[in-house]
Amino acid sequence: QFGQMNIQQPAAPQPPMASPGMPPGMMPPQPGPPQPGMAQPLPQPTVQLNQLYPSDVISQPFNVYELDMPPPQISLPPNTSVTPSPYANCPPKYMRSTLNAIPTTHSLLKKSRLPFALCIQPYAALHDAEDPVPVVPDQVISRCRRCRSYINSFATFLDHGHRWRCNMCNLTNDVPQAFDWDSATQTSVDRWQRPELNYSVVEFVAPQEYMVRPPQPLVYLFLFDVSYNAVVNGLLATSARCILESLDRIPNADRRTRLGFIAVDSSLHYFSIPRDGNELSDPSMLVVSDLDEPFLPTPEDLLVNLSESRANIENFLNKLQGMFQETQNGASAMGSALRAGHKLISPVGGKITVLSSTLPNIGHGKLEMREDKKILGTSKEGSLLQTGNSFYKSFAVECSKTQVSIDMFLFSSQYQDVASLSNLPRYTGGQTYFYPGWNAARSEDAIKFAREFSEYLSAEIGLEAVLRVRATTGLRMSTFYGNFFNRSSDLCAFPAFPRDQSYVVEVAIDETITKPFVCMQAAVLHTTCNGERRIRVLTLALPTTESLSGLYASADQCAIVEYFSHKAVERALSSGPEAARDALQSKLLEILTTYRKELAGGSMGGGGLQLPANLRALPVLFLGLIKNVGLRKSAQIPSDLRAAALCLLSTLPLPLMMQYIYPKMYSLHDMPDNAGMPDETTGETLLPPPVNLTSERIVPYGLYLIDDGQNQFLWVGRDAVPALVMDVFGLEDKTLLKQGKSSVPVLDNEFNERLRAVIEKSKDHRAKGCGSITVPSLYVIREDGEPSLKLWAQTLLVEDRADQGVSVQQWMGLLREKVSE
Amino acid sequence: MDYEALKEQWSEIEDRDGVRLSWNTFPSSRMEASRLVVPIGALYTPLKEKTDTPLLQYEPVSCKAPCRAVLNPFCQVDTRARLWICPFCLQRNALPPHYKDISQDAIPPELHPNSTTIEYRLARPAPSPPIFVFVVDTCQEEDSLKALKDSIIMSLSLLPPYALVGLITFGTMAQVHELGYTECAKSYVFRGSKEYTAKQVQEMLGLMAPGLRPNMMQPQPGRAPPPMGPAARFLLPVQQCEFQLTNALEQLQKDPWPVANDKRSLRCTGVALSVAIGLLETSFQNSGARIMLFTGGPATEGPGMVVGPELREPIRSHHDIDRDNIKYYKKALKFYDNLAKRTAHNGHIIDIFAGCLDQVGLLEMKGLSNNTGGHMILTDSFTSSMYRQSFARVFDKDGDDNLLMGFNASLEVITTKELKVTGLIGHAVSMNKKSASVGETECGIGNTCSWKMCGIDPSASYGVYFEIASQGGPTQIQQGPQKGMMQFLTYYQHSAGQYHLRVTTVARNLSGPSGDPAIAQSFDQEASAVLMSRIAVFKAEVDDGPDVLRWVDRMLIRLCSRFAEYRKDDPSSFRLEKNFTLYPQFMFHLRRSQFLQVFNNSPDETAFYRHVLNHEDVSNSLIMIQPTLDSYGFDHEGSQPVLLDSTSIQPETILLLDTFFHILIFHGETMAEWRKAGYQDQEGYENFRALLEQPKEDAKELIQDRFPLPRFIVCDAGGSQARFLLSKLNPSTTHTSGTYGGVSQTAQTIFTDDVSLQTFMDHLMKLAVSGTG
Ligand SMILES: [Zn+2]
Ligand SMILES: [Zn+2]
Repeated sequence: QFGQMNIQQPAAPQPPMASPGMPPGMMPPQPGPPQPGMAQPLPQPTVQLNQLYPSDVISQPFNVYELDMPPPQISLPPNTSVTPSPYANCPPKYMRSTLNAIPTTHSLLKKSRLPFALCIQPYAALHDAEDPVPVVPDQVISRCRRCRSYINSFATFLDHGHRWRCNMCNLTNDVPQAFDWDSATQTSVDRWQRPELNYSVVEFVAPQEYMVRPPQPLVYLFLFDVSYNAVVNGLLATSARCILESLDRIPNADRRTRLGFIAVDSSLHYFSIPRDGNELSDPSMLVVSDLDEPFLPTPEDLLVNLSESRANIENFLNKLQGMFQETQNGASAMGSALRAGHKLISPVGGKITVLSSTLPNIGHGKLEMREDKKILGTSKEGSLLQTGNSFYKSFAVECSKTQVSIDMFLFSSQYQDVASLSNLPRYTGGQTYFYPGWNAARSEDAIKFAREFSEYLSAEIGLEAVLRVRATTGLRMSTFYGNFFNRSSDLCAFPAFPRDQSYVVEVAIDETITKPFVCMQAAVLHTTCNGERRIRVLTLALPTTESLSGLYASADQCAIVEYFSHKAVERALSSGPEAARDALQSKLLEILTTYRKELAGGSMGGGGLQLPANLRALPVLFLGLIKNVGLRKSAQIPSDLRAAALCLLSTLPLPLMMQYIYPKMYSLHDMPDNAGMPDETTGETLLPPPVNLTSERIVPYGLYLIDDGQNQFLWVGRDAVPALVMDVFGLEDKTLLKQGKSSVPVLDNEFNERLRAVIEKSKDHRAKGCGSITVPSLYVIREDGEPSLKLWAQTLLVEDRADQGVSVQQWMGLLREKVSE
Repeated sequence: MDYEALKEQWSEIEDRDGVRLSWNTFPSSRMEASRLVVPIGALYTPLKEKTDTPLLQYEPVSCKAPCRAVLNPFCQVDTRARLWICPFCLQRNALPPHYKDISQDAIPPELHPNSTTIEYRLARPAPSPPIFVFVVDTCQEEDSLKALKDSIIMSLSLLPPYALVGLITFGTMAQVHELGYTECAKSYVFRGSKEYTAKQVQEMLGLMAPGLRPNMMQPQPGRAPPPMGPAARFLLPVQQCEFQLTNALEQLQKDPWPVANDKRSLRCTGVALSVAIGLLETSFQNSGARIMLFTGGPATEGPGMVVGPELREPIRSHHDIDRDNIKYYKKALKFYDNLAKRTAHNGHIIDIFAGCLDQVGLLEMKGLSNNTGGHMILTDSFTSSMYRQSFARVFDKDGDDNLLMGFNASLEVITTKELKVTGLIGHAVSMNKKSASVGETECGIGNTCSWKMCGIDPSASYGVYFEIASQGGPTQIQQGPQKGMMQFLTYYQHSAGQYHLRVTTVARNLSGPSGDPAIAQSFDQEASAVLMSRIAVFKAEVDDGPDVLRWVDRMLIRLCSRFAEYRKDDPSSFRLEKNFTLYPQFMFHLRRSQFLQVFNNSPDETAFYRHVLNHEDVSNSLIMIQPTLDSYGFDHEGSQPVLLDSTSIQPETILLLDTFFHILIFHGETMAEWRKAGYQDQEGYENFRALLEQPKEDAKELIQDRFPLPRFIVCDAGGSQARFLLSKLNPSTTHTSGTYGGVSQTAQTIFTDDVSLQTFMDHLMKLAVSGTG
């Protein structure tokens, strides 16, 4: 019967703010000149804001497809944009607000109990080509003299177009002559064609003034753990091979990219790699065991130009594995190696990529095995999420100042103190990637890491970047969340700017807003990895409202949950998971209570739990958040796993964040005929409709895919029929099935093909509108098989009762009870 | 016996035993001894090459503890009772069972009267093959570094294939090359500015035994532990790592760290040495090893720096040291002395090869070589043949193709009870062994009867000094002329891999009643001059220069007052016996030599000259003290020794000067003019050509077995190089002496304020006869 249902594709509801996926230079359809009358925008109270549609989440339970609904519409007064471009306002995939109608006063916001924050994701793909953004190439950048905002489609032109009024602070500024006249070609130009007046997401090529020094080259310094663990589990060999195979993918358009390598056990091993064509082609290894104050053993050839030393880099990477194969060394001086690496690259800046399987146990930033099974799940657990050595904070700040960004790839099968190590990426615009118990001998592990690492190396990261968000007078960016260093009150510094993270900025209302709409503009000044200084500017305009119902009707539940996810991580790191869970629950109750009291007339509406239609997912998303491995009440979760989850909960782009909090589950045995097949018009694989995360939806003979974006579980019901097992796995009997980390074999039957297409499509980040390097691992679970695997998969069934967590019914009951108190 | 016969006898003994004594009859009382002025001493060359006596392949027969003297020709042996009486302690010892067949006619070699020196090969094998660690300075110009690399690569072929070799290079930092690693060139780098303890060095090189470093090196299950230790990783047999080492050397580049125009290169000689020492310290203690330092300049970085990196800051001179106006000297000296002590304790040798026009800090580092028996070679550049040939000579071999070098030697002296040993001067350290043979006073390194020479070679000579015991006269037990005896026992690791023991037993008559003329007749003025020079230089290392000169004068005057014939207060009556006549002249030249007059030389040169003096035997030392001068001319066939005097400079002669350190050919004014005119190439002047060639041929002869290779200078009268000659000549015709007094008008005038030999002798005679000396 599912075949009849409209498959919930993200493609279905796409209002005006579709992707501005246009290559640079291409103009929007028919952007006409503004009407002369547009010069003086008058208050336009005639705008029809979103209506409140009340609902009851108990009598009318949440259905998973509601999560794929677009955020409440942004209803701007007509002609707020100087061009009629349909791309004039920012699409939600780059920037979305928790409120798509802004309260005019602080007191209204406070009364609503709703958060006012922006979720900013400046990049929607790892590579420009996958998500091109219009570029302003002429280095003519018109900015407001007072508030430094970039001219945008919400500015207004005055004085016969000679001046423009800033839509943030109202100051009038001169329009640059170049807007109408190209002095180079001596021709007049049509300013209405300028990308920044037609697109809300543009990139300016910055002139000299935007540089404190010439654009730096891309630098990657790899710190390889070469201790016993990392050699034996194959990390060293896999990393070296992967870099070798990805050399062509590392951005190097300007042929300035430089690479360096340090191998680390109880000593630091530097490699001096000669230039191609030199008499010598072999690297030489320089070992420094003096960890007190690491120093560079030679001034030359430790950081080499990828183009000029390409052959010798390959030679080195081919040899690297063999160099340490006999090791017995169980120590890791990674902290000292970081210091040394910093010394090596800080004159230029760049990325330090740490690949480690070992707890750093000597030298700087030495850490101790502090995890104790007995304190897991207790109130003391929070201490394990805090930093074990102040080095990891102070050093991170030092790195940020010198434009050095750190990424951690962690692979230990034992305690590695992810909590401490993750500080380095957290403050330097980096990321922590965790592969617990990874072993290259399992091909699934090797392939997953190799694919991810290769994607990682290919990503067109920005360098020496700062993010600043400006807004209409009266609004102030008050708090920033994400991986960066908050250099001053409103400036976030990123030694490297990743393309797979999002940021949350909380906005305060300092003055009463009198305008019908406000604007917020995020600008990322950065150096591209091919040596160009650029500014990516995102401008979002939102209407204002004086009514509480207007606020609730325009609240974006996904953005709200992303905001609270960041808040919860902050709380968990400072006070532990329990405090974070409690805070989440009370925040949710505040919203429910406020809505009930202020907008639902105080009645329980027949004993139910009231929420507007656009916020119906909130209770279940909060439940998902509370049950996420990062926050869940449990005595079984190693602190490394928690810490790694918290990293995700504070960095994931919104679509992945939602999936991580409320995973996708697909019923496969009965999927519609077109699922797993390409869509006739787009060519994209169609997914089956998702189902709610409850075991009630799982039948014993069924086959399901549960996907939280990090892991995929292929659930084989205990009564799965042999024909299904044969079609999917090519096995006579499901008892022959390899459980755990596995893959679906390629078989010559239609169901197998469609199934694999679904599994593949479920991983497709681009379709979700974000960039990510993550390739989820697939686990095959037999309902009647390995109990621990089954239990693990079941923890993703957010609506079930499990371990110490409540079922969705209990949760709703609990909330109702508290709200009615 | 007349003097010439005595000299002959002494020379024979020297050939056989490698010993020259200052006095060949020992005074029988302490009182008598105190009046000798020159102490009883022996200049002993323990490993003097001997081809005439067989190497004994069995263990020596030793006296009971604590004496341990070895059976020798002076022992009384009772063949019937199978007993022998030790002449040193008078104990009876049973002969070992396998000596049961000895008789008057069949005696073992060690009892043969000519076996006063005999060598045993012991059953004890050396703990490891000889080790050579090259410590190479890379702060050098390309050509000099290349020459140095080539010379080291060449030396590999001179080493026995089983010898272990290692490589350390240094500049701003020090690098230990892991020659056992074959994946790629690998080295451990040490910061040049930091003082590393022995333990740190070993930890950082990963030389600590597994488990000693918690959490670091836990043996991992399922894996055979890889070969650990420096022998497998850093020090490998030449035959195994020649390729790797040659590669490492060939790839060696100039220190890559940039050097500003107004700066010296940063050179961490101290760290490099301490790392080398640390590398050998744990695993190879008491195994023969040479650390060969090749340095192209002064240490300017880290511990042991001798001058700062700023070029405007000059390296210290003797004047700076004299005025105590020196920044790094004391600290550096202390640092290197500590290293020297450690190295000597470990039984290893440090050689220093300097290839630099300027100083390298040899003065500060001298203890490294002096304490360990290492070589010190001071040359202008590694490109010079002086360096190349001297370095190659280190690896000279004997007839059996064994390197002519011994390791880890100890020299023990045993004496009969009237003699006591007071000390040793030479390249050795005390082993602090007390015995009945140790005297009350101290001369040189004293208070011990045993010394350690980490490095020893066939020409290494040691001054050993004795006193006469205070208690009583000679014992009356023995009949015939009473003899005083000493036995020198030298244990060492032979380069062929076994331990050897060389035994030299010296017996000399004790003097008769007070005033026995035999004592004076037994005076060996050459040996005495050398033994006294060593004392003077030893004193000069600690005392002020003028004090030492006064001491030399005082001793000379006292010796002359004691042994000359004269009427009191009548200098003209002064006469010396034949075997004393040259001694004052030796002392005159010693006073003016570079050994005691340091201000004309750099501190490094002083350290170098003194080092060499303390290594050589009597005849070589005498050349250093009083250089030889030969003259060539048409009026005589071949060379003719002439006085080391300015009068010897004549226009129509060629002079050949040998100062040991320099060999100089000097063309008199006319000779030079003729040569410049090219007569030697013209027909009919073959005799002139032959005359020009002759000194060159003779010089070649002199250089033949000279170590280190001397600097060779050819110069003409009036040329700037001639100053080397002039500085050595007795200034009989100075600008102050005028031209009267029978001195030839043609003689060269020397511009000097030194007193001439004649003036010196006049003063000496006056003081000697006055009885106030
Ligand atoms: Zn403005
Ligand atoms: Zn005895």
